[in-house]
Amino acid sequence: MAAGPYNYSYIFKYIIIGDMGVGKSCLLHQFTEKKFMADCPHTIGVEFGTRIIEVSGQKIKLQIWDTAGQERFRAVTRSYYRGAAGALMVYDITRRSTYNHLSSWLTDARNLTNPNTVIFLIGNKCDLEAQRDVTYEEAKQFADENGLLFLEASAKTGENVEEAFLDTARKIYQNIQDGSLDLNAAESGVQHKPSSPRGTQLSNDQPANKEGCAC
Amino acid sequence: MDPSGPVQQLLSQGEKCVSAADAYLVQGRARVSRVAALVETETAFGPNFGFFMFGTKRMPVQGSDLTLVTVIPVKEDFAVEVIDDPSQDLLGSDVPVKVCGSGQVLTLNLPFGSKSGNFLTALRRAISIYTSQPPAEVFQPFAWLEKYELMTATADRSDWPWSGTGLDAMAAEIVTEGFEDNFADSLSFDDAASLASQQDLGDSEADGSGLEPVNVSRGGSASTMGSMMANPPSVREPIVKMYMLKEEAKYTHLKTFRIFAGTWNVNGQPATESLKAWLAKDSTPPDLYAVGFQELDLSKEAFVFNDSAREEEWVKAVTHGLHPEASYRRVRLIRLVGMMLLVFVRSEHNKFLSQIEAQTVGTGIMGKMGNKGGVAIRFDFHNTSFCIVNSHLAAHTEHYERRNQDYSDICARMQFNLTQPPLTIHKHNVVLWVGDLNYRLSDIEISEVKALIEKEMFWALMEHDQLKRQMNERSVFKDFKEASVNFIPTYKYDPGTDDWDTSEKCRVPAWCDRVLCKGDSVSAVEYRSHRELKLSDHKPVSCLFDIGVKVIDEDNYKRVFEEVIRKLDKLENEFLPSVSLSCVDLKFERIKFLEPQKKTISITNTGQVPCQFEFICKLDEKEYCKPWLNVQPSLGFIMPGDSYPIELEIYVDKNTAGRLNSGEDSLEDILVLHLDGGKDYFVTVQGDFIPSCFGSSIEALCNMRGPIREVPVARLVDLEAGSPSETSPEDSFSTLPIPKEIWLLVDHLYKHALCQEDLFQQPGLHSEIEEIRDCLDTGMPDTIPGQPHSVAECLLMFLDSLPEPVVPHQYYQSCLDSCTRFELCEQLMSQVPEHHRNVFKYLTAFLRELLKYQDDNKRDPKMLAMIFGGLLLKPKPDEAKRQNNQQTARRRATFIYQFQVNPYDG
Repeated sequence: MAAGPYNYSYIFKYIIIGDMGVGKSCLLHQFTEKKFMADCPHTIGVEFGTRIIEVSGQKIKLQIWDTAGQERFRAVTRSYYRGAAGALMVYDITRRSTYNHLSSWLTDARNLTNPNTVIFLIGNKCDLEAQRDVTYEEAKQFADENGLLFLEASAKTGENVEEAFLDTARKIYQNIQDGSLDLNAAESGVQHKPSSPRGTQLSNDQPANKEGCAC
Repeated sequence: MDPSGPVQQLLSQGEKCVSAADAYLVQGRARVSRVAALVETETAFGPNFGFFMFGTKRMPVQGSDLTLVTVIPVKEDFAVEVIDDPSQDLLGSDVPVKVCGSGQVLTLNLPFGSKSGNFLTALRRAISIYTSQPPAEVFQPFAWLEKYELMTATADRSDWPWSGTGLDAMAAEIVTEGFEDNFADSLSFDDAASLASQQDLGDSEADGSGLEPVNVSRGGSASTMGSMMANPPSVREPIVKMYMLKEEAKYTHLKTFRIFAGTWNVNGQPATESLKAWLAKDSTPPDLYAVGFQELDLSKEAFVFNDSAREEEWVKAVTHGLHPEASYRRVRLIRLVGMMLLVFVRSEHNKFLSQIEAQTVGTGIMGKMGNKGGVAIRFDFHNTSFCIVNSHLAAHTEHYERRNQDYSDICARMQFNLTQPPLTIHKHNVVLWVGDLNYRLSDIEISEVKALIEKEMFWALMEHDQLKRQMNERSVFKDFKEASVNFIPTYKYDPGTDDWDTSEKCRVPAWCDRVLCKGDSVSAVEYRSHRELKLSDHKPVSCLFDIGVKVIDEDNYKRVFEEVIRKLDKLENEFLPSVSLSCVDLKFERIKFLEPQKKTISITNTGQVPCQFEFICKLDEKEYCKPWLNVQPSLGFIMPGDSYPIELEIYVDKNTAGRLNSGEDSLEDILVLHLDGGKDYFVTVQGDFIPSCFGSSIEALCNMRGPIREVPVARLVDLEAGSPSETSPEDSFSTLPIPKEIWLLVDHLYKHALCQEDLFQQPGLHSEIEEIRDCLDTGMPDTIPGQPHSVAECLLMFLDSLPEPVVPHQYYQSCLDSCTRFELCEQLMSQVPEHHRNVFKYLTAFLRELLKYQDDNKRDPKMLAMIFGGLLLKPKPDEAKRQNNQQTARRRATFIYQFQVNPYDG
């Protein structure tokens, strides 16, 4: 059997952000385990999950960081934005307050990630249509105005969950393909593994490495 | 961050850190963080280099965090080489490098990137410079390294060998164990999990404990956060492969292919006959040819140099002899002396062949020479692995045991290295073994042999065949099969004829030349000899096989592959380290100045893998917790199911009390507990601080008529900010000249302790000091409790805790400069703000008073000057390190002394 077909060629780092209780951890769980976690405790810290997906024939490993949403942890969770290739910004369509806070989350995301980070807006809990508090149209408009990808999803039914994670990856991959995402930048959030033989790698690395000060 | 700066700090003058890089030292399966550096110095003969390796306490490194552990001079025995490791082939993964010299061999992993690249380039340049210099014996170029070598001899070499996480361990296990069939078959996910954890358990038990708390200075590693890398991708490869192998039946189906396997001992003859009668005898062209020759070349050159003139002509003969109705491609040729094996495949199948490798094993004299032994070619055809062996075993009738041994040697020593782990002959799905195996007919007279041949009673003759007998005894070719032999023995003829050997040796006819097979779905279609070919004393033999080859069904393959990937993802997520904490929200109550409070939380490893935890720094912070908090241990290692206590202690001292009193800071912190390779947990720590006059400023205290505890917090903030709000009714009083707390303490000493021996020298009682502090903070007592020594120590502590010392920082330097002249000192003090000046005046007056009773209290003025000099005059905290030496201490004392011996009233 030929060597190498099992490896993935890219690693993308994602973060999931948004108010407490909007279902960030449930989205992660639904995506990685295809299951709904009914009694999900509040995240006190940062959860972590991983899955390999395929985009345009490329195997990509997603490393997903799911952050605590509580306001008091906000200063700490900001530490985790750096180096994210994708940011999933989540609100709860049945609670307007979580929608109203989006601009503050967006500010953080923009300030703390690189300009090419793909930000995807998810209106979670779309299975609870009867309790809807935020219309699709206004959220869509917000997303358009801010250049965000947008979907309403349900971590409970799984609707659009896969799509949100995969669309984000497709967009990142597209950015790589058209050259707008510089893989050599330390904070691109993407690691690439081409099949070139080892040994030439060190010297191939560009001298003008943009790592800057890592601390 | 470039570590060359910190390295440079540690070097002597004239030495330069040319390049430095972060690195991991690989010790078995452990990786230890190191800094590698190339240091240059100039000698009479040009630049001279040394390779340095430092241990690091924290990242990013500072000079003081580095401990020199290894020094290797860059001279003739020094070498650097990048280890080519295909299993680690991944852009962005670390680059393994071997560094040798001075009898040491170090394996380092350099992080991928230009820094490491530059470092390697610098090392290579240093080596080339060395080689261009005169020989080292002429002068002593490396004398400058001796002082460093001495340092490494005494350096603390304690390392923290953390073992890897679950998947690493699992992969390591798989790689070392190989794909044993039974292993792969029986391994379920649960097994894999327990396997991995057992593996790690074993390792850690060898270390002697389940948990190794390590105390390090505050700081942790800021770089850990957010940059967590899961298991390197290459780790997954063997695991995926293993599972794909297990599920093979789901995505492959058997398709039958026709294989021609032939063997001929050509007795060193030139290829003068057409081979069509042997190779193209059948009506349908086979899909694959495996053609073996023995005694292709009996010349000395072939034997000694493995160089054969015959090879080319025989290859040509075979190529021309292949079935004319199909086009073939040569897959591989391998020859060892006279043994040659050729594999051809029909052109249309060529693209389904992969992992082609050829090997040889000589079993001649000394177990090496290639006149006997075997050659083999292995390949994967679709999803079935093939190994074809051509061997020439030891000759002579009586030497059948020697032949058995040759077979065992070939099996044991034939190894294919293209795959990881390496494969042996028996690890293949299909093995075809052709050759002059040299087994003869035993216990039968030549006349009887010839008679039976005459009657074509081959079955009867076969009972005397050594190979059949040995195989029945399972002494050789275990698990191999052979089609029934229905042809006349192939040995030994008079060359050029079909006549039995007429030489004087008059050999008994025998079936020396055989074709054996092993594997499922392998069936022999026809087994025959080819008597038409006469040039040798052997006749060629061939066997046609129909072999079921596992052909991949693309759609099913994709589906199964996705399933396996999903399973592994799930497994990987389950294998992430995970802990539970007994409490993530700690509330401390009534924290008082200098009174430590401790709480313990328990961390339990609830995951399936051993885990390493560490409290790490938050973004833009240099320490993982606030200065008033202490966490023990701040990092450690826990086995699955084990728990470990972590102590958190709040202790407010003079450095932190000021900001807490003033409300600039509060007892609130969020700790980030990071699991190596996994998630992070937040632990919230909160406490109520009871404000104290200790740590409050002179100004603020002068504005408080009542005790500090009775002042509302909001007002404390105002007071410390320097804005005594005039709106408050209680402000109707004018401010106090000096803080009443100082007055209370000094007055007490004045009234009760002027004659006390050893005052300000003997320490007080801790309990009494706390009592006195509470008394000062809560009320206006008539009498201060406690013995004079406690009161005296309290006064010293109070002065020590002042955020701004009695002589404010800005006057510090001028005071030292003019300490020898009292007029200047006096003049300086007149510029000091009022309240501070008052306190100074009051305290020096007290000291003068105290010294009047020198006969009783035995106080030495110089000693008192020393004590108070260090408290009343203090440099800014950030300059303290530089300023705290004997000289400045003496000048501070001199300054105070001036006021002890000269009359002073401001």
